[in-house]
Amino acid sequence: MTLSKFDYYGPKTVAEAVGLLGEIGEGAKVMAGGTDVLVRIRHRMLKPRAVVGLKRIEGLNGISCGPKRGLSVGATALLADVAAHRGIRRLYPGIAEAALGTANVQVRNMATLAGNLCNASPAADNAPTLLALNAELTIQGPGGERKRPLEGFFKGPGVTDLAPEEVVTAIFVPPPAERSGTAYLHLSARGKHDCTAVGVGVMLAMAGRKCRDARIFISACGPTPLRAPQAEQMLIGQVPTDKRMAEAGVRASGEALPICDIRASADYRCRVLGVLTRRALQAARDRAAKKG
Amino acid sequence: MEDRYSIIGKDVPRNDAVAKATGAAAYTDDMKLPGMLHGKLLRSPLPHARIRRIDTSRAERLPGVKCVITGEDTPKVKYGNWRLFPTTQDEYPLAVDKVRFIGDEVAAVAAVDVDTALEALELIRVEYEELPAVFDVDAALAKTAPALHEASPTNISIDRKISYGDVERGFSASDYVREDTFTVHAVSPGYMEPCSSLALCDLDGRITLWTSTQTPYIVQCLLASTLGMRENDIRVIKPFVGGGFGGKMELRPWEFCAAFMARRTGRPVKFTLTRQEELCYGRRRHPMKLWSKVGFKKDGTLVAKDLKILLDGGAYNAMGPTATFLCGNFGAMLYRYPNYRFLGEHVYTNKAPASAMRGFGAPQSLFAAETQMNMAAEELGIDPIELRIKNAMVTGDEIPGVATISSCGFIESLQEAAKMSGWKRKRKNFKAGRGIGVGCYSFISGGVFNWFNTQYPFSAAEVRAFADGTVHLLTMASDIGQGSDTVLKQILAEELGLGMEDIRITSADTAMTPQADLGTWGSRVTLMGGGAVQNAARKIKEELFGTVSARFDLNVIFEMECRNGRVYAKGKPERGMTFGEAVALAQKARRGEPLVARGYYTPRDKGLVTPAFSFGAQVAEVEVDRETGIVSVKKMWTAHDCGTVINPMAVEGQLEGSIHMGLGYALSEELQVENGRTMNNTFLDYKMFTAEDMPPGESVCIETYEPEGPMGAKEAGEGLASPTAPAVAEAVYHATGYRCKDLPITPEKILKGMKK
Repeated sequence: MTLSKFDYYGPKTVAEAVGLLGEIGEGAKVMAGGTDVLVRIRHRMLKPRAVVGLKRIEGLNGISCGPKRGLSVGATALLADVAAHRGIRRLYPGIAEAALGTANVQVRNMATLAGNLCNASPAADNAPTLLALNAELTIQGPGGERKRPLEGFFKGPGVTDLAPEEVVTAIFVPPPAERSGTAYLHLSARGKHDCTAVGVGVMLAMAGRKCRDARIFISACGPTPLRAPQAEQMLIGQVPTDKRMAEAGVRASGEALPICDIRASADYRCRVLGVLTRRALQAARDRAAKKG
Repeated sequence: MEDRYSIIGKDVPRNDAVAKATGAAAYTDDMKLPGMLHGKLLRSPLPHARIRRIDTSRAERLPGVKCVITGEDTPKVKYGNWRLFPTTQDEYPLAVDKVRFIGDEVAAVAAVDVDTALEALELIRVEYEELPAVFDVDAALAKTAPALHEASPTNISIDRKISYGDVERGFSASDYVREDTFTVHAVSPGYMEPCSSLALCDLDGRITLWTSTQTPYIVQCLLASTLGMRENDIRVIKPFVGGGFGGKMELRPWEFCAAFMARRTGRPVKFTLTRQEELCYGRRRHPMKLWSKVGFKKDGTLVAKDLKILLDGGAYNAMGPTATFLCGNFGAMLYRYPNYRFLGEHVYTNKAPASAMRGFGAPQSLFAAETQMNMAAEELGIDPIELRIKNAMVTGDEIPGVATISSCGFIESLQEAAKMSGWKRKRKNFKAGRGIGVGCYSFISGGVFNWFNTQYPFSAAEVRAFADGTVHLLTMASDIGQGSDTVLKQILAEELGLGMEDIRITSADTAMTPQADLGTWGSRVTLMGGGAVQNAARKIKEELFGTVSARFDLNVIFEMECRNGRVYAKGKPERGMTFGEAVALAQKARRGEPLVARGYYTPRDKGLVTPAFSFGAQVAEVEVDRETGIVSVKKMWTAHDCGTVINPMAVEGQLEGSIHMGLGYALSEELQVENGRTMNNTFLDYKMFTAEDMPPGESVCIETYEPEGPMGAKEAGEGLASPTAPAVAEAVYHATGYRCKDLPITPEKILKGMKK
């Protein structure tokens, strides 16, 4: 493989990594699995002076999951591990679905959940569900640790709120709300193993027959993952019938900002987003119902 | 009864399979020579421009750079595969005066490593004067359009006409006439091994070139003419090749540059393309605009067809002239058209050149023909398979002035495909969202037209027999993954009554194997290369039969046989000896002169197209999500006639590969070109089907005996690139009411075109 020349650092601790980023300054790139960073370097879209790899940091790949403590996924935990994790599959099936729906087996065996978020692709498969579940990031910087909600983290294609010398160390998801369900649906022209052309992650929480809370996030239909607040409002406090969900889907597609590109036209994205939103909402509702 | 054949018709694993699967196979890019330099190409960023000035001085001064060349350094000899018609040769190895597409090769750098070469490219300054450009056939044919090549002021580089019967009269005698326009898109051959070439110049100035090619002989000849050298001062060797599909059958600029720069520097030079280069600038299947008018009698009998095709050729001819020719021939295949007229025009546009790609004009031409057949069937109220059977070609049919069909299992293929798939029941009972459709093909087993103007036989083989019971087969035929080394060995083993383990093969080395072989394309190798092997083997046998006959003082009426490692009298097997003993004896009679025979095949008196046609029918079943337009292919059934099946396992592999490519062509693959720039330059956005996307399939080989083919064999695997798109399109129509006349079938098109 031909790569432009850069120095590689493999720090053993997060503090060391943060220190290195500060020392190197401009031109340093943090790398977890490398499935985005290395490809972009090879395509000469990215020419870092130095790459700071996180995989040697012990314990950073941990996953902890429980109904009371919620979910915490370390920065170097693999998508394959997230997808296969029993606890995640039971408590957060939407997160497992999104991880499993990312790229292919080989990529999932290398790539990380945190990397997928920090790469900030508008089509990132793992963002919508995590946003729908109110995920929070733990970030380490020169000034110590800070936590921030995932919502608002994405600033544009490839751009996040992260400062150059900061590292995301973990993703935290609060315990699932009672009688709630999540789902993630996405599609592209080719069935499997493809970059998402339209995706939607939803969370629905029920109280009695009515919807108590709804969060809907859309991917690949704008510069960042987008929230569909109007569609959410159409559901909250209402009985989530199929008809209402279809209407919410249509509203959600109105809230998206899709563009025409080689993966799909804006028209198609809008039309299909409505369908996917409805289907994801139905799946989330059925899951919530199962929890009783 | 004893099987007619010992090894023909048996599953024999391909020669290269284990090596490729385990990574042991060394491809050109795996090779390293001492002192080797790495080459990179500077390409035009503009679709059409005059080159004012090129300044390479800064690049030359970069440490590690050993050689920088532009068109001005070269002999400036144009090349192209249609040597018989020198005016069609329109390409220079490096641009001279003008560039004609984004990616046109302008300069080359050889340096100590790839990074240095890439850095040097950035230091080359080229001053261009941009010219107006055209990106589709309509724009290229407009009166005001700029001419890409001086020799073709209209931008039509070549045309082809076919006509027999009286088409106008045919239409007036028809009860039902329909006229449709179809468009098809550009797709990439997508071979797994990007092009790679490594050149070595010896102390006498001779060149050895290892290159990822389908056609070592063509590369050797054209390299000689572009370098101003003699053919046999150049040796071309084809190592393991990871697929070609038509995209590696011409001389290419990096082959020239590697050889030229190796001579200039005295050091080996290697070029390997990246996937982006392959997708953006590589050869592709022709986009086309097809207008077709057909006339039928009320009962479904075909009366006439008028076909006009514009091929979007891109900036150079490449294999476009052959594709133009073949489109017209395939337009007249499969069914009996008493009146037929074809006009094909190959049009220059400012895009990466299209060329040969699995099917060579057939997938495009047959998509239109087969879709139109399905539309006509619906309007005539006849089942699409019934309509085909009614008009199907049969053995002995003649295409006036073109060819006689010497073997044809088309009707049986249709019947078998219908039976396997449960056609009648599904056609009637499927609910909305589920559909089944049919598409058919015919294909050539090699071409008979000598556009390359070879002075040698089309195929050749040498067989050396040894007293230890082994033989050595030498042939220039090129195995690029299709399995010809294995199949040629099988043919030889069968003829000589030996096992696969008794045969060593040396293939595709122009200095070591007999002159010549036109290469791997047009599904020619089994029939033609196989014919040459059979011819050589029979000469060896004659020699051995004489020897054994004399040894046992046999009556001259005895038939002799080579089988199970023995040579003997057929009626009296005890009068015989082992193959090795027979060779030893023959050699003794020749006073030590080794037993060597050469065999040849050149088609003669076989019409204008091919010695033999394959046929087949395919049925596709799909499910369409009517809300998203996503098509999921449930199953494919194929029945095909490839004559005698030499290696069922290899035929099955060809079939699966064809379906894979056919589904991509129908549903997901498309090179998206905007203003001459290919936008999807990775496999992420150039969407080939993956293993997980592949549907299950069932297939049946309809065995016929092709008199011209070795053991009755003919083409398998290239023709199968054609039926999938029309079959899937018809299935989608059956499921949704959306009729695709504009490939590929995308979810968007389905949603827009779906009947409520």
